Order: sequence, then C-alpha cells, then structure tokens
Amino acid sequence: MNTCPEHIVLLMHDYLDEEISHENEKELKAHLQSCEACKTHFHELKKTVALVQSTSHIQAPSNFTQNVMAKLPKEKKRAGVER
Amino acid sequence: MESIVKKRIQQVRKGDQDAFGEIVELFKDRVYHVCFRMLGNRHEAEDIAQEAFIRAYTNIHTFDIDRKFSTWLFRIATNLCIDRIRKKKPDYYLDAEVSGTDGLTMYSQVETDGPLPEEEVESMELQESIQKEISRLPDKYRSVIVLKYIEELSLKEISEILELPIGTVKTRIHRGREALRKQLRSI
Repeated sequence: MNTCPEHIVLLMHDYLDEEISHENEKELKAHLQSCEACKTHFHELKKTVALVQSTSHIQAPSNFTQNVMAKLPKEKKRAGVER
Repeated sequence: MESIVKKRIQQVRKGDQDAFGEIVELFKDRVYHVCFRMLGNRHEAEDIAQEAFIRAYTNIHTFDIDRKFSTWLFRIATNLCIDRIRKKKPDYYLDAEVSGTDGLTMYSQVETDGPLPEEEVESMELQESIQKEISRLPDKYRSVIVLKYIEELSLKEISEILELPIGTVKTRIHRGREALRKQLRSI
C-alpha cells in the first residue's frame, strides 16, 4: 500500500498546480530521488493529467444553434430591425 | 471577443433574438464539450448544452454586463450537468459510459469515411477509457477536473463558475487527481 509521506504528496499537487515554492520543489525532487514509491506516485499523477489533457476536442452537432434558436421563447419581435 | 459579446448581449436585451444566435455560435463548442465530458454521453450533452443556452437567454437580464460572460454561461451549464448527474442512479452512469456505439458515432462524425488506421482505433479506445474514468468521478471532483483540464481554466475562474472558495477548488482538484490516478493506473 501507499506509504508516501503526506506532505510530499501535497508538494506533488502544489507542483502540478504550478504553485510550488523553489525551496519546496528542491525538497520534492530530493525526496523523489530517494523514494521509489513516491516516484511512482508522482509519475502516475503526471500521467493522469496527460491522459485527461489528451482527450480530443469535440464540437457541437452541426445544427446546434438552429435547434437552440427554435426553442427560444418567442417575444418582442424586433429581431433584425436595428441591425 | 468580450466586447463583441457585450454588444450582442445588449442587442438581445433590446429584443433582438438573432443577436443571441451569434452568442450561441461563439460558445456552443466549449459548452457542448464541457457537458460531454461531464455527462459522458453525446445525446445528454446536447440536451443540457441547449438547455444552458435557453436559460442564458431567458435570464439574460440578470447577467452583470461588467463580468465575463463565459463564466456565467459555464456556471449555468455546470449546474445543469450536476443536477442531471445527481438525478441519475449511480449504477446507471457506471455502465452507461462503456458505450461502444456512442463513442463510435462521436468520433466517426469528426473523422472521414474511410477505414481508420490502427493507431486511430487504439486512440479511440483510449479516449473512451479515459472518458469512462472521468464519468466515474463523483460530480464534485468531475466538475473541477473538467474545467481545469478540458477547458483549461484558472483556479480563480473555476472558483467563480462553481461559486466555491479557491481553497475548496484546489482540494477538489487534488482529490480528483488522486481518484483518477488510481483509476487510470493500469492504462
């Protein structure tokens, strides 16, 4: 099971949030060099982020706007007059 | 872009419905994408994304014109997604997202007609696995993960969209990442 020191895991998350101080980053890196379990944990976290970011961008269906416009409540018909 | 959006909003407020169509065009892909990643299902994503725009339209007078429109719109959309998720039975969405056909239609729609090269089929499968794991996250973690990593928003924007303190957003992102780490470990 995971026995990584809790504060090291917190530093990993600070690192991923890009909110880690220079000193803490040095501490994290030093620890990762000496601890296999933390190294794996950190690697898995970075992989997770990369995987989630690798999901492709998908677009709304082609007639999306038309469908929304057709469903809008009809009111104050002045559309187009002022433009 | 913000100035165009503000102009269109003012036109909508004066009764020009067509101006709203331009707003929908500008934001439809982002809103649909967030809904899809939240719900894991094309049909529901379309339904909820449409509903989000309709609510934005009917409540356009309550929008504070000095604020960022996308933040407001994403708030409407994420709230609708969370409501939808909570209405579903948990075991329903665990299974529903396995979705062989659903994912296929989604990607075949984007791609060309010809047979797909093997790498693309593999990456489609990978994409589906990742989506399935995102869909298994509890909604409070799912929303922050989607907004941060799919929509690439700042912690500050996420906190405004979800109306949560930044500290809470951070904690949820951490927990969401840890949960996903365990789920995605074997991929």
